[in-house]
Amino acid sequence: MSATTAPTAGAPADAPRAAPIPRLVSAFSGTVGVAVKLLALGLSNALAVWAIYVLITRHHWVALAVLAAATVLIDLVYLAPGQAFLPAKFLIPGTVFLIGFQVFPIIYTVNIAFTDYGTGHIGTKAAAVQQIETTSLEPPANGKTYTMAVARSASGTLTLLLSDDATHKLYAGTTKGLSPLPAGSVKASAGQITAAKGYTILHGLALFSLDQQLQSLVVPVGKGAGIRPQSTSTAVELEPTLRYDAKRGVFVRLADGAVFRDDGSGEFARGTEALEPGWKTGVGTRNFSRILHDPLIRTPFLSVFAWTFVFAAGTVFLSFAIGLFLAITLDKKGMRFLRTYRAILIIPWAVPGFLSLLAWQGLLDQFGVVNNKVIHPLFGTTVPWLADANVAKLSCILVSAWLTVPFFFIVSLGALQAIPEELTEAARVDGGGPFQIFRRVTLPLLLVAVGPLLISSFALNFNNFNNIYLLTAGGPPQANSAVAGATDILISYTYKLAIATGKGQDFALAASVTIIVFFITAIISTIGFARTRVLEEVL
Amino acid sequence: MSSRKRIGALLVVVVAGFLAALAGSIHSARAAGPTLTIWVDQNRKDAVTQLANQWAAKNAGVTVNVVVQDFGSIRDKVGTVDASTAPDVILAAHDWTGQLAANGLVEPIYLSAAVKKQFPAYTLNAFSYGLAVKKLYGVPTQIENIGLVVNTSLVKVPKTFAQLEQEALAYKKKVHASFGIAVQQGSGYDAYHMYPFFSGLGGYVFGTNSAGNLDPSNIGVANKAFLKNSNLIDKWNKEGLINSALTYSTAQDAFLKKRAAFYITGPWASQVLEQSGIKFKIIQVPKIVDASVPFLGVQGAMVTKYAEGHGVGGLAEDFVSNYLTTPAAQLALALANGRYPANTVAGKQVHDPVLAQFGQAGAGGVPMPNIPQMASVWQDLGAAWFKATKGAGAQPAKSAFVTAARSIADKIG
Repeated sequence: MSATTAPTAGAPADAPRAAPIPRLVSAFSGTVGVAVKLLALGLSNALAVWAIYVLITRHHWVALAVLAAATVLIDLVYLAPGQAFLPAKFLIPGTVFLIGFQVFPIIYTVNIAFTDYGTGHIGTKAAAVQQIETTSLEPPANGKTYTMAVARSASGTLTLLLSDDATHKLYAGTTKGLSPLPAGSVKASAGQITAAKGYTILHGLALFSLDQQLQSLVVPVGKGAGIRPQSTSTAVELEPTLRYDAKRGVFVRLADGAVFRDDGSGEFARGTEALEPGWKTGVGTRNFSRILHDPLIRTPFLSVFAWTFVFAAGTVFLSFAIGLFLAITLDKKGMRFLRTYRAILIIPWAVPGFLSLLAWQGLLDQFGVVNNKVIHPLFGTTVPWLADANVAKLSCILVSAWLTVPFFFIVSLGALQAIPEELTEAARVDGGGPFQIFRRVTLPLLLVAVGPLLISSFALNFNNFNNIYLLTAGGPPQANSAVAGATDILISYTYKLAIATGKGQDFALAASVTIIVFFITAIISTIGFARTRVLEEVL
Repeated sequence: MSSRKRIGALLVVVVAGFLAALAGSIHSARAAGPTLTIWVDQNRKDAVTQLANQWAAKNAGVTVNVVVQDFGSIRDKVGTVDASTAPDVILAAHDWTGQLAANGLVEPIYLSAAVKKQFPAYTLNAFSYGLAVKKLYGVPTQIENIGLVVNTSLVKVPKTFAQLEQEALAYKKKVHASFGIAVQQGSGYDAYHMYPFFSGLGGYVFGTNSAGNLDPSNIGVANKAFLKNSNLIDKWNKEGLINSALTYSTAQDAFLKKRAAFYITGPWASQVLEQSGIKFKIIQVPKIVDASVPFLGVQGAMVTKYAEGHGVGGLAEDFVSNYLTTPAAQLALALANGRYPANTVAGKQVHDPVLAQFGQAGAGGVPMPNIPQMASVWQDLGAAWFKATKGAGAQPAKSAFVTAARSIADKIG
């Protein structure tokens, strides 16, 4: 272990005691272990049974089948006797989380990329038809509004007792029609009918339980118009302006007979005129071809991609270099305040990234502390840290590196201590200078251990939405592109595309750009991993 | 393990499962009778809970469920929420109307003539949307707009824009590290706060067609009149009247620390202003070429499409269109948020002088367009202002706004 911890004086007396891990293992074998296993299985089964119950009530049959199969599989594996399925017993928890949090979102994203999911296309066709019918009702010219009381007639028919808001004339309306009520048979106060001869007025739960019926009740008043209840105490005269022809699956406008057809991309349309809302539907590769052909998206794509690569590479290189330098510097045994230095250097990593980034945004502001208290007094000028395109790019790399240095510091410290001292001793004996030793002995061995971490850090920073968006929001605007700013990386560019396109939000387009970014990242990572394996072979 | 032990283990596991499921099903089958679910933001939670309970008392048998959500995320959550936990009523901002209606998530509301008379026409228009015919989708509850806050102990209240320019620049010259007019932009852009200058120079966002509806094909961001006046923006930039590097916090800080005598902000800052001890007056930005009117923001309540599915369609409409339109409810809701109520009868009962001044500063204001195409506009228009008022190295205003107009047109398609 680290040379800074001195061996305890009591160690020889403790030698017969077993090390902690074998002790734990023996404690959890036998009855205790079986009890714990049954408890955990019981809990997971309970969760599964409750989930199955919920899925049944919501008719999600595919999810139900998958869940049932998974539960049975888990029970089988863990209840199998002895050493059967031993690897599976260790792999199942990780696999469950992998499928739940990685595989499923990927499948879902790929699914969305081939639809037109976005503003105006978020529901089902049936819901869209119903909503169009509801919103196509219009008050006719001189349409009336009524104050309403819901009642049952002597024969049990549901009747609306209506008082015209303008003329205060009284009517009784049923699905058969409207008939006037003699004023003498009705008691009303402030326009609201409180009692009527021959009718029992419904209140409270008796009234509220009729909500579905009331929403579809129409009192016909001639020429297609009808009085429809709106709230529990008001009704409005409305007439339809569109008619749904269920057989042909089209909407017909009643005024001029115009026909709105399902145009295959999720809406009823007639030329350029469309009915809202639409619905979510598959559109094949339309989103991908739009990325390739639409100049609005394609033009900045290459420059954004180039900057993303530079940002990720710059961050990793700078933070690794600084982290390694600090690790080498602080690797001296017996240095005073060593632990204090190390604690201070961990702080950028310990503070939540969101806080640090917002703090940096304030510090680097045109009128922030860095300019006002440091740069201006020293140099007499201010630096546009976040306002100028190129300086903003530099600021992004610097801040991002600041956040990543502690990670590479710790990693390098550990990796350095794993390099056997005999190698560096031998190199020194052979007459190598410190820099030569570092380049020929230390660094290659270090890269074998740290290589994968460099690649994963690169992949992380390639898609580091937080570091860019919280610091510059994509950066100062560029002269040529309106969506992509100067410091926009692919993922923040995708985010801007998704929320600021022509008609609200376009999730499908964002999903397709995400898939492209995924492939780019995967290719770069694969190449990187292949090269680190080559490194290992050489050594 | 012996086969008996194995069976025993299996039994334990299955029994545990059934007990848990039983507990779960008992828990979920609790509420009887209709429940009205309302989504509100943290500020208005108490006011809405009180109003909802008063309304529920009049409708015995209804349970009210008030859920707090982050206000900015309500618009998007309504579209993705599962129907069983979906809200029946939401508090909403008027510029969400277009997107919510285009997604089919809100129900039309029909108000009687007597109720409609109590609301200014523009507030009802703000919640109306429709491609062919506009329908009302929400009930307005509060209105807000930005105004020009003048530090009256440092400068005189300007009556013309020339006076404003003169006083701002004179103060800027007098005090070191100061600003002309503290108006926020920053790298996040802010077309909303720059709108008085935009409208004062003859700019508009969308024109109206013959039916009086917003016409997304008529983009006025670079209309001829505005471009002719846009050289004034270059002049302001050169003399340092407006600096786009100021953000929300640095602009407020500049005004409070007396490094700016003029500050453009809205009623959300009224508490900070009142507690600062500065003597101030709030006016509308003086006329430049045209009246420098601000954007008007209207907030209100809407009924979602889920209400009908929950069996509370009529109750939700009753709460929103009959109860929340009353002057008492309007006053309670608006004051909970520190804003001016939309209902004019309720408005007469507001005696807060700061709110009243903000209200007057909004005279003739333009409601923010509520059509979904507006999403494209904010970023481009804000970016144009940012580039044109950057100080040294700013883009000439004419080209910045022409680029913006072209980009908006491209995005709207």
